[in-house]
Amino acid sequence: MAASDGKELTMSRAMVDAIAHEMRESDDVFVMGEDIADYGGIFDSTQGLLDEFDRDRIMDVPISETAFLGAAVGAAQSGMRPIAELMFVDFFGVAMDQIYNQMAKNTYMSGGSVSVPMVLMTAVGGTYNDAAQHSQTLYGTFAHLPGMKVVVPSTAYDAKGLMHAAIRDDDPVVFMFHKRLMGIGWMPAPEGPKTAVPDEDYTVEFGEADVKREGDDVTVVTLGLHVHRAIEAAEDLADEVDVEVVDLRSLVPLDTETIVESVSKTGRLVVVDEDYRSFGVSGEIIARAAENGLSDLTAVERVTMPDTPIPYARPLEQEVNPGTDDIIEAVRSVNDE
Amino acid sequence: MSEDLVPVDSAAVWPEDAQDVTEAIVANWFVREGSDVEEGDTIAEIQIEKVSVDVPAPATGELVERLVDETEEFERGDALARIRPA
Amino acid sequence: MLENMVTARHYEERLQEEYLEGKQPAFDISAGPIPGELHLAAGHEASGAGVCQHLRDDDTVTGPHRPHHVAIAKGVDLKRMTAEIFGRETGLCKGKGGHMHLFDPDVNFSASGIIAEGCPPAVGAALASKKRNEDSVAVAFLGEGAIDQGGFLESLNLASVHDLPVIFVVEDNDWAISMPKGRVTDVENGAQRADGFDMPGHRVDHDDATAVYEAAGEAVGRARDGNGPTLLEVQVHRRMGHFMGDAEAYRPDTDTERAQHLDSIDRLEADLRATGADEGTIEEIRSRAKERVEDAIEWAKEQPEPDPEEAYEDVFTNPPDGYAETLRGGE
Repeated sequence: MAASDGKELTMSRAMVDAIAHEMRESDDVFVMGEDIADYGGIFDSTQGLLDEFDRDRIMDVPISETAFLGAAVGAAQSGMRPIAELMFVDFFGVAMDQIYNQMAKNTYMSGGSVSVPMVLMTAVGGTYNDAAQHSQTLYGTFAHLPGMKVVVPSTAYDAKGLMHAAIRDDDPVVFMFHKRLMGIGWMPAPEGPKTAVPDEDYTVEFGEADVKREGDDVTVVTLGLHVHRAIEAAEDLADEVDVEVVDLRSLVPLDTETIVESVSKTGRLVVVDEDYRSFGVSGEIIARAAENGLSDLTAVERVTMPDTPIPYARPLEQEVNPGTDDIIEAVRSVNDE
Repeated sequence: MSEDLVPVDSAAVWPEDAQDVTEAIVANWFVREGSDVEEGDTIAEIQIEKVSVDVPAPATGELVERLVDETEEFERGDALARIRPA
Repeated sequence: MLENMVTARHYEERLQEEYLEGKQPAFDISAGPIPGELHLAAGHEASGAGVCQHLRDDDTVTGPHRPHHVAIAKGVDLKRMTAEIFGRETGLCKGKGGHMHLFDPDVNFSASGIIAEGCPPAVGAALASKKRNEDSVAVAFLGEGAIDQGGFLESLNLASVHDLPVIFVVEDNDWAISMPKGRVTDVENGAQRADGFDMPGHRVDHDDATAVYEAAGEAVGRARDGNGPTLLEVQVHRRMGHFMGDAEAYRPDTDTERAQHLDSIDRLEADLRATGADEGTIEEIRSRAKERVEDAIEWAKEQPEPDPEEAYEDVFTNPPDGYAETLRGGE
């Protein structure tokens, strides 16, 4: 899509663009969360919104996740379109009932008579040594439980389009943004997430993975921060292996077709996931690839966080968080088979 | 010709309560060299100690040159870029 | 008590220096000698010191994400705690926990980074004490922002209905990160929460360590004697940002300045002078505290970083053979 000439946005500014646009369009859209008003969101996800909208629409809330996430569910069922921010995804535990027993299930349990058009946006990911209670991605946890759509942008362009789509969607959408991609001054982003972004509104449809780099030899399927690490690995390997990088963007719904198509071309699959190894995204992607084209698969490997809580000290976190080197090694390994 | 170019002056956006600070970094550029900018558009974000400040374009025209890279340090009063007015 | 407070204050000031080293001129959370976020408690000293003065090693304390002053007052090993904060192998938690997640079983201290979530485990420690007919007590420290959290309110009820020997200590510094108390909490005085749970509730104003000591003495005595829980709120002030790197743009300058003037340490020293303590004694306490802090920091910085392989240990007490390989994704 044509972008404004030469102008680029950080992922956080792109998200704010989309939220502000939707708030101008409809009084039903409002934001609630901890430190989202004057602070502008700890990771800048609501930066500047209080300059344009009043506190009734950019609502700081008590540290009461059960109450305010549940209130978002109730307001959504009453026809509003709340965006509720869970500051760190790790805090979901204190309010999980409202998320998975109410938000996710009410449409189904009501036989489709109730809809819950809300966005639960939340910060995910590590790489800055915040330890076990502030560094998880939990992609698989949310994608596993039925009734929620789950999206994970890796660029500003995708973040804005997915946010527009999320707010307009009649189902609950979990919008998981990686802190390291937001473009915050105190947590510099890697090359890549800052992209050209159109001024006007547009949507990125759910369930459409994006081939961020084309290649013939090995398919790397990933999401979030690791899209950029996979692209870096692919560039490093360019003379040796031709790597295709598939950015899932949306976990629920999942674009099985793009994965299967890519694997049928390359025959070799590496899944890179910052979430825990077992019972999660990596296993699911491999299962889909196997179910839909087992005969195409020559070699499979996954590069993930191990099944341990996330440690604090730098050498320990670096050890467990999949790095570009780990991706390179895995790509070489499947390519040699 | 360089005398026609308008500098993007970092001192112009320095917050009052950071007057005792002399160094900062460019946290983000939002326009590439060669792009058109409009006066008042946010073209960059700088970080002075822990405070982020948006930098507006001082003139309408073409941003011909970025003088400080992202994450690079500069001193108050340094020009961040140059704009050729339209 | 003064020594604990002065140690805690000097500790936080020195950690701030160490933390910011390598983060100039730009603040990059990943740079410098101390990893991760850092939530310092300068200005909170009266609560930790005043309460823990009454505690024994076998009493349990659960701290919040801003735990250093409480840990110091509870007698946590300062050197190993500092090594943990620097992410070193010989740290309290081998570098796995970090500054929000400190565990020192020798003095029954632990901390958690999730708001109010230290309350239920404190209730559990009190329950264990009661079941075993012991006279140890448990204390949960939390911030005023945490009194709206379910984990806190549910804990008050559970503790009350079973008359458990637990004390909830709310440190009221007026700010939940950027949110002033009046915007998010219905009561001015958090100790009022006790009324709904049929337990005593007291508030101590003015960063007054002596008054905290007295109120805590009553609460701890009540718990030890088997008479049930107490809720204590202590007025403290946040002299630094919520975390290092917080520019506090949301906070009025007058409020920041007020926090510098209302100083628990100045107040306690004045109390001591009024009761006859001489300047030399106070000075001696100060220099002893400084020396202890410097020793701990120096020691911590000399400690080795953990071996990366350590990341796969401790996930279970007795991992089955080959489990570490499984974690790593090996064959």
